[in-house]
Amino acid sequence: MATLSTSNEPFLTRIKESEADKFMQKSVAKAQDAQWEKRPASRKELGHWEDWRNLGEQIRQHVIKYLPDYLEEFSDNVEKRGGHVFFAQTDKDAVAYIKKIAQQKQAHKIVKSKSMVTTEINLDKELLKLPDTSVLETDLAEFILEEDNWDEPTHIVFPTLHKNRDQIRKIFQKLGYKGSNEPGEMAKFARHYLRRSFLEADLGITGCNFAIADQGMINLVTNEGNADLTMAIPDTQVVVMGMERIVPSLKEAEVMDNMLSRSAVGQKLTSYCTFAGPQTADESDGPKDFYVVILDNGRSKALGTDFEPALQCIRCGSCLNVCPVYRHIGGHGYGSIYPGPIGAVLSPILGGYEKFKDLPFACSLNAACTDTCPVKIPLHKLLIKHREVMMDKMKIDHSFNNVLMKGAGVATATPIVFNIALKGGYLGSAPLAKKSKTSVDNFFHYGHIEWAPSLAKGWTDVRSLPRPAKGSENFRSWYKKHQAAKQAQAKEEHDNG
Amino acid sequence: MDKANREAFLNNIATHAKRPRHQLANHPFKPLNNLPESTLSGKTQDQLLAIARHSSEEVHVDFRTTAKENLAAAINDYLQHKNIQHLILPTTDLWQKFSLADWQNQRSTEHTAYWEPRADRQTNVQRAQNADGAIGFADFLLAESGTIAVATVPGQGRAFHFLPTHYLSIIPKSRIVPRSRQAMLYYEQKIKSGELTTSNINLITGPSNSGDIEMVLVVGVHGPLDMTYMVVEDL
Ligand code: SF4
Repeated sequence: MATLSTSNEPFLTRIKESEADKFMQKSVAKAQDAQWEKRPASRKELGHWEDWRNLGEQIRQHVIKYLPDYLEEFSDNVEKRGGHVFFAQTDKDAVAYIKKIAQQKQAHKIVKSKSMVTTEINLDKELLKLPDTSVLETDLAEFILEEDNWDEPTHIVFPTLHKNRDQIRKIFQKLGYKGSNEPGEMAKFARHYLRRSFLEADLGITGCNFAIADQGMINLVTNEGNADLTMAIPDTQVVVMGMERIVPSLKEAEVMDNMLSRSAVGQKLTSYCTFAGPQTADESDGPKDFYVVILDNGRSKALGTDFEPALQCIRCGSCLNVCPVYRHIGGHGYGSIYPGPIGAVLSPILGGYEKFKDLPFACSLNAACTDTCPVKIPLHKLLIKHREVMMDKMKIDHSFNNVLMKGAGVATATPIVFNIALKGGYLGSAPLAKKSKTSVDNFFHYGHIEWAPSLAKGWTDVRSLPRPAKGSENFRSWYKKHQAAKQAQAKEEHDNG
Repeated sequence: MDKANREAFLNNIATHAKRPRHQLANHPFKPLNNLPESTLSGKTQDQLLAIARHSSEEVHVDFRTTAKENLAAAINDYLQHKNIQHLILPTTDLWQKFSLADWQNQRSTEHTAYWEPRADRQTNVQRAQNADGAIGFADFLLAESGTIAVATVPGQGRAFHFLPTHYLSIIPKSRIVPRSRQAMLYYEQKIKSGELTTSNINLITGPSNSGDIEMVLVVGVHGPLDMTYMVVEDL
């Protein structure tokens, strides 16, 4: 399985599978709870967080508004530095171009640092089709996933959340590891194993947190140091970036790096924030040949629509860390490499409704994601918008209607229990309010609650996790209400002449 | 660059967005607040030092201060403490500025390698790989986050900061600045004026680390296992 989609199973099956994985659930809960304290603390320490958010939003909205101009400026400046830029409309275009470079450079040993966009285009497996070529992921988590037969990531910042130390030890044992399951010892093993590969590598592939338009440099934000080795040692570097990942100058990059670090991991800055381009004439390391691949792959479909704000995303993972649905079903439940609230917004844009129609319903509309987003993407509103768009499509396109209703198990399979869960969850939970410390489990936009009893199987288990909003709706009641509202509006317009 | 490829791509964006291209010149980015500059502004150098110490220790940095006249002894202490056998050093005229020329001359050549401006990639990378310690000079120390800022120059390359096992950074107290903003303004200006030619700027905050295995913090993954900052107080 590859590219954007990580599963062929229907949504309900995925939810049930995720539900059965108690270790995963515990790990996600642990991660969320750890970040629950750290993230707000680090934002509070910075001070004026809302004003920082306004600035972050302004920077991201501005570059999206003038995206072609910034991409033009950036690509000109990369060339001035001696680098090369390729604009890839689709994943296939990007992969074909990168394969061509690998072949031209006769690169056989490729090292990579973590990049979601290369997962989106299925780059690793495509490169492995080249004769006599090895591709090694060097981020510790991605390395673990690769060595575990290319398992899928489950979180955009912590991809191996679903694996425990014993599983990781087993994976490493296949590579000759003889030590204990102690994380420090296993990390040392990975360090030695991967160091050899860095020294032998002839091509390095990285993602890009932000491209710096006026410098022709890219900015990478990491904690392990593998991205910097990937950019230092091999002769050639290929950067793959989503076309929206750009800022005007080093100043805005610096603002975004600060906001990203605090939002992603509750750190003031991550260990390594690097701004880099091709080697200059007097330097002895860094890429002699530097290629940037700028990818659309469906992103332009969001432009000029209500979904444009989704392109502001800086992939901090904060919205995942506050989401009660993500807490329960984990990354794999979403069936997309982009899980959580942003995944539920982005996946249908990039991959289409037919494949990802369920995701806009994987949401309790508690708006915690919107509140935490450092660049103020109105995530829960965009999820409602997706539902509206699908409704409109249903009305005009019967084939779509059938696909949707058959597939949208969340809405059709258990409508009654779903409703009970919603009601029961809301009303039943009220007396329990304010008993323990607030966390993702009990936080709700309109207050704080304790666990509401689970009332049904599958989706309803998930939906009853937080105290559901009075206003939160299932697919059918939501549809009915909106239909009625639309009819009323149409009537009004008609009456008004 | 294939210009046709770029034009098609950018025109497609403009069409979808329903916004014409080439509007930026009349609408440059103007930030709506000055938080990046005003945060932690107005502090004395002593206050910044105290903040820097706190932030650095928070990210597991061994934070030390010394007077310039004691710097050589402080470095020797460090080398002994870490039991460093093979050192890599940058090629720079900063040695004189820090009064370390004698210290440098006394180092045995057998145990000291230099990142050399004219050496090839393989040679410098291998030297950094063989070193169990590096002593580098930073351009700035960012008080807020305990971060050293350093631009790649021919005498102090990229891998210099990443391959050695232990890393000591020397920073004059006068180069402690509030935040990353001040460092970025400096680099922007130096690059623009042509005084600095670099392909790479590193902001390094403590040793490399990872929480990828059960969210347990492991310090020292691909980069140095530990970091020491040595602030020279009378510089
Ligand atoms: S949508 Fe916002 S909170 Fe979620 S990952 Fe993107 S930037 Fe972070």
